Order: sequence, then structure tokens, then C-alpha cells
Amino acid sequence: MATITLTPKYSFTVPVYAPCISPDSFAGKTLKEIGELEVWEGNRRKKLKQLFDIKGKTADTPEEITIKLSGNLWKVRRIGEEMTAGKILIDGDAGLHLGVKMRGGTITVKGNADSWLGSQMRGGTIEVMGNAKDYVGGAYRGSGVGMRGGTIIVHGNAGYDVGEWMRGGFIKIMGNVGAYTGVHMQGGTILVQGDSEGRIGALMKGGKIVLMGKIDSILPSFTIQDLKKRTKVEGEAVEGPFYVFIGDLTEDGSGKLFISKKSNPHLSFYERLI
Amino acid sequence: MRVVKDVVCPFCGCLCDDLELEIEGREVKAVRNACAVGEAKFLHYGKHERTRPMIRKNGELVEVSLDEAIRKAAEILAEAKYPVLFGWSSTSCEAVRVGLQLAEEVGAIIDHCSSVCHGPSVLAIQEVGLAGFTLGQSRHRFDLIIYWGSNPLDSHFRHFERYSTFSEGRFRPSISRRSITQFLSTLAERRIKRVTRRLLIKEREEGFYFGARRAPSGPFKERDRKLIVVDVRRTRAAKMADFFLQVKPNTDYEIIQALRMLIRDMELDVDEVAGIPVEVLEELADILVNAKVGVLYFGVGLTMSKGKHRNIEAAISLVRDLNARAKFHILPMRGHYNVTGADVVITWTTGYPYAVDLTQGYPRYNPGETSTIDVLLRDDCDAFLCIASDPVAHFPRRAVENMLKHPLIAIDPVVSATTLVADVVIPSAFSGIEVGGTAYRMDHVPITLKKVFEPPEGYLPDEEILKRILAEVRRIKGKAAEALVPAGA
Repeated sequence: MATITLTPKYSFTVPVYAPCISPDSFAGKTLKEIGELEVWEGNRRKKLKQLFDIKGKTADTPEEITIKLSGNLWKVRRIGEEMTAGKILIDGDAGLHLGVKMRGGTITVKGNADSWLGSQMRGGTIEVMGNAKDYVGGAYRGSGVGMRGGTIIVHGNAGYDVGEWMRGGFIKIMGNVGAYTGVHMQGGTILVQGDSEGRIGALMKGGKIVLMGKIDSILPSFTIQDLKKRTKVEGEAVEGPFYVFIGDLTEDGSGKLFISKKSNPHLSFYERLI
Repeated sequence: MRVVKDVVCPFCGCLCDDLELEIEGREVKAVRNACAVGEAKFLHYGKHERTRPMIRKNGELVEVSLDEAIRKAAEILAEAKYPVLFGWSSTSCEAVRVGLQLAEEVGAIIDHCSSVCHGPSVLAIQEVGLAGFTLGQSRHRFDLIIYWGSNPLDSHFRHFERYSTFSEGRFRPSISRRSITQFLSTLAERRIKRVTRRLLIKEREEGFYFGARRAPSGPFKERDRKLIVVDVRRTRAAKMADFFLQVKPNTDYEIIQALRMLIRDMELDVDEVAGIPVEVLEELADILVNAKVGVLYFGVGLTMSKGKHRNIEAAISLVRDLNARAKFHILPMRGHYNVTGADVVITWTTGYPYAVDLTQGYPRYNPGETSTIDVLLRDDCDAFLCIASDPVAHFPRRAVENMLKHPLIAIDPVVSATTLVADVVIPSAFSGIEVGGTAYRMDHVPITLKKVFEPPEGYLPDEEILKRILAEVRRIKGKAAEALVPAGA
């Protein structure tokens, strides 16, 4: 395995767009050639070497490459865009659009990640040890296609619109989520171990959302279907019991919400309808 | 004394074009046909403290020549790595067009007030479309008018009178007479309350009330326009409504989704939605589906409450569902008089309506990333140009704090909170009073603004100021200014 280390030369004050920071772009290039790759610092076109110290060993194929980033990367955007293989390790916080449209490989963030984490991704794994902001695995403005494959694991909390327009893959949020988790969802699975701010599964047509924590209410456009003892997520059993809702009926949807019974005693009135 | 007719009011998105001004010298003596705000705008036009060209030197704003202020503004923008050009909704489309050229030249984000008002509406429209119309149709045809999260009697004063409830349409008679009766009954109700208070009789406590109120005038009359208001408080418009639905703050989404279910003849599992009994929603759904031609006007009460563009998406979807049963339209109640024009000009030029990032030489659009408030909260920009707006007085505090860390250029006819803290102040002429141009009404109808007075000496139109800044930026960048300004721009 070849490891390439990137460290910012100074603290960035304006956004840096660096989609070239990915094993696919680095593969088959010398360190000098990697340094010549183009990035944008605000409205200035720059070379990667002007912004980062680049050290380490290169390799011919992306599978063999591990990119280690450290320092303040909150302003650095689009890291790992469209990567197909290899690893990216971020020792700190990551900026917007981390791992968007990625197809394979692994990204690990020790800190937090900004919005649009893993948007429209098709494969691979992203793991964030801290929190993530909005649109985890979501879609871009005007697009009806969110995440289609792969796995996103957030150990902390996530913001609004997790899995927006999601069509496949798996998102696991170990903390709490904001509102509109799985909005417009058409496939795939979302597991939330914490609480939800509400409006879960709004306008969903398919897919499955499992909520272990609390939620104030279920949208009126969902109907209760069943009470299940347990469910399966990515092949593993998750113990319930769960209220199972079907919706969103206003979109003729058949998505499934699994809402923990234990965490939500105020929803017990639904039981009379089963 | 001279009388100027058919003056366009440069205040709100209604763009009333039937104002008459009586003018003596440089003073407006009387304004006819205008609302209170439009009238005040013209009557007090000459009483504002006008800006002077100024540059901040050693912490103090010092008066300089206009050319020096323009040169300084151009230097700031040419040096900046991530500038934001904000404002635009209270100036003409011609100025916005030059602003776009400037944004492209310096590599900036161009954004306007949609970002903080109806931006969510735009996002929703992009997702689900819009059943639009012009206000003329509203005046002549609509028999059911809904205001959701909007109180036109306090924000778009003549909307009732010109385009909806009180307007006399070809196919719809005005309901003004009935409303006068209602208004008088409200006055009588108040008088009775006053009397009971005087008699020390303990009044029935009227707490924060959720649910529906119907007009005292009873069931709707055939051919009458019906007015429905949905709001979190009993506004003046709500008092005139045939049906008022008072909702808990931030619960609009649930209510709309429940209405969609009922309109699609589906049953709800719950007895009440966000505190509103399902029977009340059923009654409302019946009124909606029985309309001949209906319209839903929505305001920032819907766009800026919890859910933002999701609320609008649901509202548009509600209208889409209603169109299967009746004829229905929907329109945002745009605030500033040319905020729609800024949307339109930026769209036809870049393909996107607001929050357009031109820093990399081509338009990118991603509200949340490229919208002004988000850029400021992340402290991304390093220079800020504000034109025809006062963000320092209205933006969140943290956004303003970050804005003031970097050079701030303000182009404004009058002294505002923003011009007081700016680093460069460039005075401009009043758009719509001292300068003509084009503005778009809330229903996307272009209307020509009328020039009523000549601007004082040294006060240039926004368009001219921007052209000069653009030429100066190009000079700094070593480009031939004349060659790059397209003919007629």
C-alpha cells in the first residue's frame, strides 16, 4: 500500500474546491505530477502543491493508494469525488460534498463532516466519527436521484434531509437526526439509532427507515400496518418491537417506517387500528 | 402644480401602476390610489438623508469624489477571492443585468433577497413545478382565494383590492359590501366587549386558539368569492375571511399533507392533525374541491417556517392534487417590488434564479452552499457588495459579524444601517422615482417604472454605477473596458 500525506500549507479563508484529492486522480502519477493537479481557491485557479504539502509514495492503481489528510479541512470541498477505489483518511473535519458520486473505496473522517456527505454515491463506504450536517446521501438541487449504493455510517448526529431521493444503499446514523429523514426516498435503508425531529419519510415511495429513538408524531399521510417484534437491517436483526407504517400515501408510496414502540409510548393509540 | 398619471409604485410585488401624483417643484403634494406605504414612499421621498460618496480611512468614513469611491470599490472586488454581490430586488432589471456582468468579471456569487424570503419557493418549484397564472385571471375568474402564511392587509395592501377578494372582476363580483358588513360587526363586537369590561363582568378568557372560525355571515353565497386564511394568528385578513384556520406555528406541513389525503379521498388514522380536528380539515377540503377556480397565495409564513421548501413543495402538490378535482393555481406573494425581476434576469442569463456562484467562470447553483446567509455563516466570503438592500439591519447577527470582518461596499440612495458601517459608500438615484427601468410583478409580468424626478447632481442610476465599477475592474485586470461591454448594455 502506498500512502500519500497532504497537509494544508496555511489556514484557508475562502472555499477550496479540490475534487482531484482522490486515489483515482493520484494513481499512476508522481508526487510532482500530483502537485500540478488543478484546484480552485475561491475564484483563483491554483495547483495542489500551492495549497498542500504533499509527501509519501505513489502507486499505479487507486486500490493501492491511501490518502491521509490532516489539519483544518473545513473549507476544503469535494474531496474524494467520484472515487472508485482506495482509501482516504481525514484526521479532522471535512468540508462540503465529501465523497460525492463515489463508486468504491473507503473514506474515514475522525471529526465532523459538512452537508451533502456522500451525495449521489453509488458504492463504497464513508464513516464519520463525529457529526454530519444536512443532505447525507442526498441529491443535488433539481435532481431526483440521491444515493444509489454503498454505505454511510455517522457515529454522531446528522441534520435535515438524510437520504433525500435515496434509491439504494444503507445509511446508519448512530445519533439523532433532523427532520425529513428519507424525504422522497425510493429505495435503500436508513437506520437511525437516536431520535428524530419529525416528518420522517415524507413523500417517500419506497425503501425502509428504522427509528430506534423518539419521534413526536408520524405524518398523517402514513397508515399503520403492523406491530413487529424485530426487523432486519443489512442482514442483521434489530430488536423491537416496532410499529410499522406504510406511506407516503399522498405519493402513492409503499415505503416502510419501523418506529420503536418502546421509545414512543405516546403512539400506542395506533394499536387499536391494527 | 403638475399631475403625473400611471406612476408605478416601487414598493411591493404588486407593482400598482395606477398611481397619480400631484407635484410641486421637487415635492410630492398628494398621492392618489396608493396604499399607505406607497403614499409615504412618494410623500417623504425628499425627506430622507441621502448618502454621499465615502471611503473608510483610519476607521472613519471620509467623503471623497464619486470616481474615487468607484475606484476603491473596483479595487476591493478585483482583489477579492470570494466576493458576494447581494441586493438587487429593489432596483431595475437593467441594473441586475450589469451586476451579472460584474459578477462574472470578478468571479463572484450573485444573490438577491429571494435567498432570505421566497428562495425555498424557488427550490420547491424546481422540484414539482408551478401551476402559475397572471393576476388578471385572479381578478376576473377566481372564486376561491386562499392566503396561507400571508397577511396582504399588512404586506401587500392593495392585493385584496386590485387582484383578489375586493376586486370587481368580469365574472366575479366584489365581496367588498359583505366585508364592510363583517367589518362593522367586528366593530360592534369590540364595543360590546368594552362595555362588558366596564361593567366589571369577567370576560371569557380567549387564549391562543387553534382551529377554525367561520364568518358570521353564514354559508357562502353562490357566485361570491370565498376567502380562506390560514395563519398562526388572527390577522386583519383573517378577520375578513369566510373560513379562518388558525394553525400552531411550524405545523403547516402536517396540515397540508392531511388535506392532500382528504382531497384524494383517503382516510386518516388520527382524530386530529397538529391540534386541528379532522372534521374541520374535511370541511376545508370540501370547500377546496368545490371551487370553480381557486388560488393559493402563500407568504413567508410558509416559506420560512419549519420545513421551508418542503412546505412549499407540499403546498404545490396540494394544488396539483386539487387540479384533479377543480381548477387551481398557486403563487408566492413576492415582497420587494423587483425581486421577481432579479429572479428572471439571473435565470435567463445563467439558468439559475438566485445564489449563483460564478467564481469558477461558469454558473453553479446550490442554495445552502452558495446562498448569502450560508456563505456568511461559514465565513467564506472576503468582500461584500450590497446594492439596494440593507442586510446589516436584517441578517442574523452572526452573519453580519462575519460580513463586517471583510470590506463592505454599499450602493444606496439613502443612509441605512449598512451604509453606516460600510467601507465604501456609493450614492445612487432612487430606482422607480428618479430612474425608470423594468420591474417584474409577482406574477412575472414586466412593468415599466416611471421616472418622476430628475436625480440630484452626483446621484447616478445603479446601472451606470455598476457599469463604471465594471469598467474600472476591467482596467485593473488589464482588459480593454470598451471592447468587453456589449453594445446596448
